[in-house]
Amino acid sequence: MAKKYLRMTLNERVQHINLFINFTILVITGFALKYPEAFWVSPITDVPGGMTLRGFLHRLSGVAIVTLGGYHILYMLFTQRGRGILKDMVPVVKDLRDAWETLKNNLFINRPAKEIKMPRFNFREKAEYLGLIWGTIVMTVTGFILWFEVEWLKFFPKWTFDVARAIHFYEAILATLTIIVWHFYSVIFNPDVYPMSWAWITGHLTEHEMEKEHGLELERLKAEEKGKLVEFGEAAAVGGGRVYPLRGERREKIFPIKRLYGTVQGLNQTIKNWKGE
Amino acid sequence: MKGREVGMSTWVVLSGVVSLFVGLMVGVARADLSFCLGCHQDESLKKQDPRGRSLSLFVSEAGFKSSVHGKLSCSSCHTRIKDDRHAEGGKKAADKSVHCGTCHREAEKEYQQGLHSKLIMKGTERAANCYDCHGKHNIQPSKNPKSMTHVSNIERTCNRCHSDVEFVKEHALGATIPGEAFQKSVHKKTGEVTCTSCHGSHNLRSLIDPKSTIFRSNIPQTCGSCHPDITKQFTESIHGVLAARGRTDSPTCTTCHGIHGIKAKVDPDSPVNERRIALTTCPQCHAAERISREYKITTTPVKSYYDSFHGLSYRGGDTYSANCASCHGVHDIRPSSDPKSMVYKDNLQKTCGNCHPGASENFAKGKMHAVASTAGEDFGEKVVGWVRITYIILIVCVIGGMIFFNFTDWLRKTIDRMH
Repeated sequence: MAKKYLRMTLNERVQHINLFINFTILVITGFALKYPEAFWVSPITDVPGGMTLRGFLHRLSGVAIVTLGGYHILYMLFTQRGRGILKDMVPVVKDLRDAWETLKNNLFINRPAKEIKMPRFNFREKAEYLGLIWGTIVMTVTGFILWFEVEWLKFFPKWTFDVARAIHFYEAILATLTIIVWHFYSVIFNPDVYPMSWAWITGHLTEHEMEKEHGLELERLKAEEKGKLVEFGEAAAVGGGRVYPLRGERREKIFPIKRLYGTVQGLNQTIKNWKGE
Repeated sequence: MKGREVGMSTWVVLSGVVSLFVGLMVGVARADLSFCLGCHQDESLKKQDPRGRSLSLFVSEAGFKSSVHGKLSCSSCHTRIKDDRHAEGGKKAADKSVHCGTCHREAEKEYQQGLHSKLIMKGTERAANCYDCHGKHNIQPSKNPKSMTHVSNIERTCNRCHSDVEFVKEHALGATIPGEAFQKSVHKKTGEVTCTSCHGSHNLRSLIDPKSTIFRSNIPQTCGSCHPDITKQFTESIHGVLAARGRTDSPTCTTCHGIHGIKAKVDPDSPVNERRIALTTCPQCHAAERISREYKITTTPVKSYYDSFHGLSYRGGDTYSANCASCHGVHDIRPSSDPKSMVYKDNLQKTCGNCHPGASENFAKGKMHAVASTAGEDFGEKVVGWVRITYIILIVCVIGGMIFFNFTDWLRKTIDRMH
């Protein structure tokens, strides 16, 4: 049995599915407003009160995504795994170089093709994650302006509302196209993973996928396994060949803010335990 | 229906005559009647008219006797047929013309001013004469439900000609059959409104006659006979003022509500249904280039509305979303410079507040029908215009770059796999 590498914990997969569902609802209900005569909108417009329901759903999913975003911030800050992800997600110059070399490989400028070993999060994923953060902030701010127009227009002139409308629309196009062009290529149409990278359901990548997309991380994990990297001693391979970073011992000193968001950790822990391996 | 306009004096004279000679009169009338009916009660009695068509000369005794004229004698109306020569002398001797105006003077006066009589004088064969609408020997008072001129039957009476396809085509009365449209109208459903309610009866005039009830600038008054409050609102509105001044581009009642087929506003087929106001009814003029040019109003408001949240949601079928009338009013639409207008600057806060409770003074400021354009007059329009251009460039570059990058990636990986 080929070795599998944990990519997404159950918690993260639930977050992803949550984002996936709500993002899709937002895209459909949002563009249904902008293009009410489009053929695919007829299921909404044909129903009496469909447009009203559409608006309600759009706001509901918006709130869901904002809530998810808030949860995600807590997750990234107050779980060890989250902090690890955050650390690995920081863009560095090497990412630009990776992208550049990839392009040169693709265009046969590098002859022979250079072997590029990419870290846990490669330049594709980092760019997308940053884009997601940027897009969520922009859509949340403009979205709330449009939602609470009475409150907003108490203090700001109407043209700011019009600007918010324009940004909300164009950012939506940008976000949707990014998902279709960039994300769907990464996880679906990329010949290395086609027909789909199943990590969003199963939670793990195959060694082949690791090698192609995260060569550096694979090397690190393998070295770790062999005990060469002593400073990462606490993250040993456990659980039927899967690689889990073990949780550290509980710190003797608990910060008040940490206690405040203890529920987040608790939930993560529960979900993890419930996995039962 | 004005009834039988038999002058007062006529009645006085008649009653005198009747009281004096009642017995004799009845005797003569009966004698007269039975004498004529001697031949005319024969159902097969016919003659050829000048065009060779067969014409029945049958007169139903029962029908005549139960008619409003049942007490009169044949010669009261057929004044030219004084003796029995007509039966032998044929058509030349039988000057059968009946002159109703002898008794019904008022009606005749009105009729002579009306369109039907004018057409008859011009020689139009198929224009309506008295008997076309009232019947001949079996005339009933218009209050009688069996009467051709009873409110429930007038439509059928008029439709004998005006719903006839050939007739409508011949007389260039338009492609629609008024009777058909009227069948589905809300006026028909009431049962109280019929053709004559709007067109008048004896004196009904042509559409282009300035005295006509359906002449353009008279329409608000015509409708106002039943809808007075609305007409009052309308005549003070910008549309009403312009229409009264003879502006043919300015709408009257029928421009928005339709003509014969007027429907209740809850009816989805009604042009003033809330689903159609902003799609067809107002834009029929306010999105029309010709009218825009003439009145120096632009088509921008319609376009910008369609692209606003209100318009987009409305186009998708949202009836809570504002349409034209929500902000501009219905019958009392006034220009924004009019202090009584709903969109006058001091009234805007209240107008917006109808749907946006708590709308501040600032809420109603700023350009409403704004269109994003870098060349716009309004500052906000310019800003939105630049935001738009910036985003389009951004989208093209970013997404274009992604497509390019991914395409090369896909190509390379595919090529590698082939080897």
